[in-house]
Amino acid sequence: MKAVSARGEVVLEADEPAALRAGPPRMSLRRLWRFKWGVAATAIILTIVGSAVWAPWISPWDPLSVDIRHRLGPPAWMDGGTRAHVLGTDQVGRDLLSRVIYGGRVSLIIGVAAVLVSSSIGVLLGLAAGYFAGRMDWTIMTLVNVMLTFPFVLLALAVIAVLGPSLVNMIIVLGIADWPLYARVIRAETLAIREREFILAGRALGMSHARLVFRQILPNLVSVIVVIATLQVARVIILESFLSFLGLGVQPPTPAWGNMLGEGRVYMLNSWWIATFPGLAIFVTTLAINLMGNALRDWLDPHMKL
Amino acid sequence: MRRTLVSGSALFLLLALGCPPAADAQTRDDTLVYALQSDVDTWDPPNSVLREAIILGYHVFDHLAVRDLKTRRVVPNLALSWKALNDTTWEVKLRQGVKFHDGSPFTARDVKATFERVLDPTKKMTARGNHAKIKSVEIVDDHTVKFHTDGPYPIFVERLTALVMASEKVIKDKGHEWMQEHPIGTGPYKLVKWDRKHEHLLVRNDEYWGPKAPYKYVRIRIIPEQATQIAELISGGVDVIKAVPPDQIDVINKSGQARTASSPILRTAFLQLDQAARSGPNPFTDRRVRQAANLATDMDGIIKHVLNGLGDRVATAVNPMAFGFDAGLKPYKQDLAAAKKLLAEAGYPNGVDIVYNQGPPTVEPGLLQTDEAIVADLTKAGFRVKQNYVGDNTVFVARIKDSKAGPMFSFSWGYYSVFDADAILYDIFKCKETYAYYCNPAMDDLIIQGRSTLDQKKRAEVYAKAQKLAFDDAAYLFKWGLRGVWGISNRVDYQAPPDEVDRMFLVTPRKK
Amino acid sequence: MKRYALRQLLQLGVVVVGISMLAFAILHVIGDPVLLLLPLNAGKEEYERYHKLLGLDKPVYVQYWKFASRAVQGDFGKSWYTDTPAFTLVLERMPPTLYLTSAGLVAALLIALPLGILAALKRHSLVDNLCTMLAVAGQAMPIFWLGIMLIIVFAVRLKALPASGYGTWQHFLMPAFTLGAFLAPLTMRLVRSGVIEIMNMDYIRTARAKGVGENTVVVKHAFRNACIPIITVLGLQFGQLLGGAIVTETVFAWPGVATLTVESIRNQDFPVVQCAVVLLALIIVSVNFLVDMIVGLIDPRIRLG
Repeated sequence: MKAVSARGEVVLEADEPAALRAGPPRMSLRRLWRFKWGVAATAIILTIVGSAVWAPWISPWDPLSVDIRHRLGPPAWMDGGTRAHVLGTDQVGRDLLSRVIYGGRVSLIIGVAAVLVSSSIGVLLGLAAGYFAGRMDWTIMTLVNVMLTFPFVLLALAVIAVLGPSLVNMIIVLGIADWPLYARVIRAETLAIREREFILAGRALGMSHARLVFRQILPNLVSVIVVIATLQVARVIILESFLSFLGLGVQPPTPAWGNMLGEGRVYMLNSWWIATFPGLAIFVTTLAINLMGNALRDWLDPHMKL
Repeated sequence: MRRTLVSGSALFLLLALGCPPAADAQTRDDTLVYALQSDVDTWDPPNSVLREAIILGYHVFDHLAVRDLKTRRVVPNLALSWKALNDTTWEVKLRQGVKFHDGSPFTARDVKATFERVLDPTKKMTARGNHAKIKSVEIVDDHTVKFHTDGPYPIFVERLTALVMASEKVIKDKGHEWMQEHPIGTGPYKLVKWDRKHEHLLVRNDEYWGPKAPYKYVRIRIIPEQATQIAELISGGVDVIKAVPPDQIDVINKSGQARTASSPILRTAFLQLDQAARSGPNPFTDRRVRQAANLATDMDGIIKHVLNGLGDRVATAVNPMAFGFDAGLKPYKQDLAAAKKLLAEAGYPNGVDIVYNQGPPTVEPGLLQTDEAIVADLTKAGFRVKQNYVGDNTVFVARIKDSKAGPMFSFSWGYYSVFDADAILYDIFKCKETYAYYCNPAMDDLIIQGRSTLDQKKRAEVYAKAQKLAFDDAAYLFKWGLRGVWGISNRVDYQAPPDEVDRMFLVTPRKK
Repeated sequence: MKRYALRQLLQLGVVVVGISMLAFAILHVIGDPVLLLLPLNAGKEEYERYHKLLGLDKPVYVQYWKFASRAVQGDFGKSWYTDTPAFTLVLERMPPTLYLTSAGLVAALLIALPLGILAALKRHSLVDNLCTMLAVAGQAMPIFWLGIMLIIVFAVRLKALPASGYGTWQHFLMPAFTLGAFLAPLTMRLVRSGVIEIMNMDYIRTARAKGVGENTVVVKHAFRNACIPIITVLGLQFGQLLGGAIVTETVFAWPGVATLTVESIRNQDFPVVQCAVVLLALIIVSVNFLVDMIVGLIDPRIRLG
């Protein structure tokens, strides 16, 4: 079985359920060295999360404070830059460094929350499809196919139009858009597990469906879910910038990396820093999350094929 | 399997590279390239609401009257003269010897057929509302027509610039659907090819009755992304672009390839305050709060620092270029102490919470930037502004119409290119009109008075009163008259048009 | 196999109908198209007249039924804006998008195949990690940003390529690369994991043991079998490519169907949106169907699954 994310990122092929092969992870220095990239990445992520959490204490300025007399100021090391604004100022004179720090807050919240939404929906439907099979499976997979083929923009526009633009609605849009990935993967895994002896035995003993699904099957899938979810956080952060390009993303003046990049694109010919620094932030974060995700996968289960 | 893949990619390559290249009959020297942000929906201007359709219409069609770009007055074009015979009848004399692109002569029958087509309520013509005051068109002789109007119609002459003349033969023989893609006009250019959402190719009409256009071909390219338009201009791919953001002016001027030009345009920007309580009770129903908002903002500073001076501060919603504009009114000056005092008198000594619905910058240059600055000023005076940005214009306009945009929202009005106070006052300040968030019976009286007489002197007096009333009542948050910025390649000469209608037949090769 | 094909075909039909219903419902929720069709200063009477002319006074299900019964016969109605058949409009704009997505796919493969194989063979080495970083860089870079960067470098600074437009082969290079960069990271990961999996298989070990050269092993044995998952995912990717196409088309002023669809959604031009959504869904679903069939033929385990 092959699966692919709604927006095309993570791929998972699991002809045999990966989770079943997982042995308990053992710790040793040599093992840790193998994950040096992952460890470094985790450190970077912790730094980014930390600065997002403590944004009010770290950032030198209020990210929303406008100063039209000092617009489009270049970074400190360039001609005309000042030390007061290390990364320069944006199109209305807001401090770019502060906005990047606060933007991380918003972007990470969106990433994590949207992934929580999409993984919850996806895992539940995937379990149902895989466990009950037959008509239930067919219905859910048809729904998955509809979702994968449906123009995402139309969905986003509808949600924004009806519910109004807000952080919560953004999370809903991205959450709804991404669940089919989880559903596909979890279904494939469940299909394989349900025929295993311990499930058959449980069924013979008269265990309830709910108990079988949530107590027996789900624990076997945790590592797969964690790995995909980690990688999807990075994906969602980038998707937000795509929505901003269409004018449907996080609404100004709230800073998010995606909308800063989107708004800054007009300035790439002169004030390049407006788009570059949030872009760099996205790049570093995504890179770190990916490296961490890969390491996590290797650590939890070296045979999982992601 | 590998073979499948190889032949598959070969097929892709073939598809990708084998598509026919556009035939380039014209050379760069006799071709002018103009860029638009979005394409027209149709080549039948009265069936469209888009400015782009008006612009393209000017190239292939003619109007009975046009605006003189220097004096900004309406002057004869296909019509030679007009006069009002009485309050409800206008007589128009037509130019002789004019030919349509299909060779047939232009006569009074074409004028009648054109108007009757637009006025027919069973047809889906979007321009019908603009001309609905005309009851009937009567042919006097081959080159004279009489228009009968429903009551006095003071902007009759202005509206003559708003309808392109089509041929009776085409309307009758070819029909509505054909006309959507095949414009047959009397204008300086003919349409050669329209590749939807991509480009239009026009060729000069060598039998044009007026002055010949300098360039043989005009290519009109559709380039949606602003950054791409600017890149095309400074890399020599495009000759004229419009709606350049103020922040990009230096990019163009420093490129050595192109320069910018600006002109005041017939569009006024302001913030609507929900005085009429359309979206429910709100602080702005109190005049003192509206005045406080006006006193809180430093519009002059914003024009200077954010717009690089590209705005004309006004004390009235009526554009300085429009008939009826009262230059005597002096704009508000920022006075934070006075603003705070007024707020306190209105019962908000500790400030007041306001939701500000912001639309996307579709027509107004630098809107997002100026909005941020305005909000920052309002905050200083005690308005706790919660910004509600709606990034999609469709959604935003629907909210305004739906009475959900209050208590405060960004707005600008383009008058439908009618240079007359009525074209804004009626639509924006008359009780219960679609866009009006202001309602005042005294104002309604003045608006009605203004549109029920043909006496221009009397009308000017009435409109001066209306503007004074709106100012004293602080009917809205006054901003400025907009200026458009054009990017022009150094290989051509071109004047920025005040009516936002680009005319490529006026572009000339630059003298070295 | 026949049953499998039939089942898939049935699903295909349901998907297309489902999408058209969803799209119809959502369009109605978004707002009122008449507000956008008429000039801003149109009065109430004009509004009512227009509403009726478009048949919007009837309930949604009646409108949908009218649409669906005509659509089955290939008649999607006339665009409310242009008064031309929606089908013609959509079909006219289809080729540029198909060219673009195909060229993007080719570009993605050109980038992803060599890098993916290299990364797989040198697993956990510096090269592997560099490839991962490159892949991440590719996905971390929003494509509008990449597109504008390319324009600035190649058109504005070097004056080597036309900044935008459609027509000659030069016009293809930047958009194809942009879209390719959007798709390449995923493809690379796939190639990498596919090759790794297969390199561990018994028959590869056997081939090696027999003394077959390493290059032959990689090219002949490993790569061939790694193709299956790649094809599957590329099939599924086709739909996602359209998302990338919206941005690429906008940045490069490419006259394709992706931007037409977005614009029609914004204008609430129901007939055009419906037609575009249904046709695109048909294409995507048929591509997936073909892929499923091919893979099902190759690997019997799947059709039983």
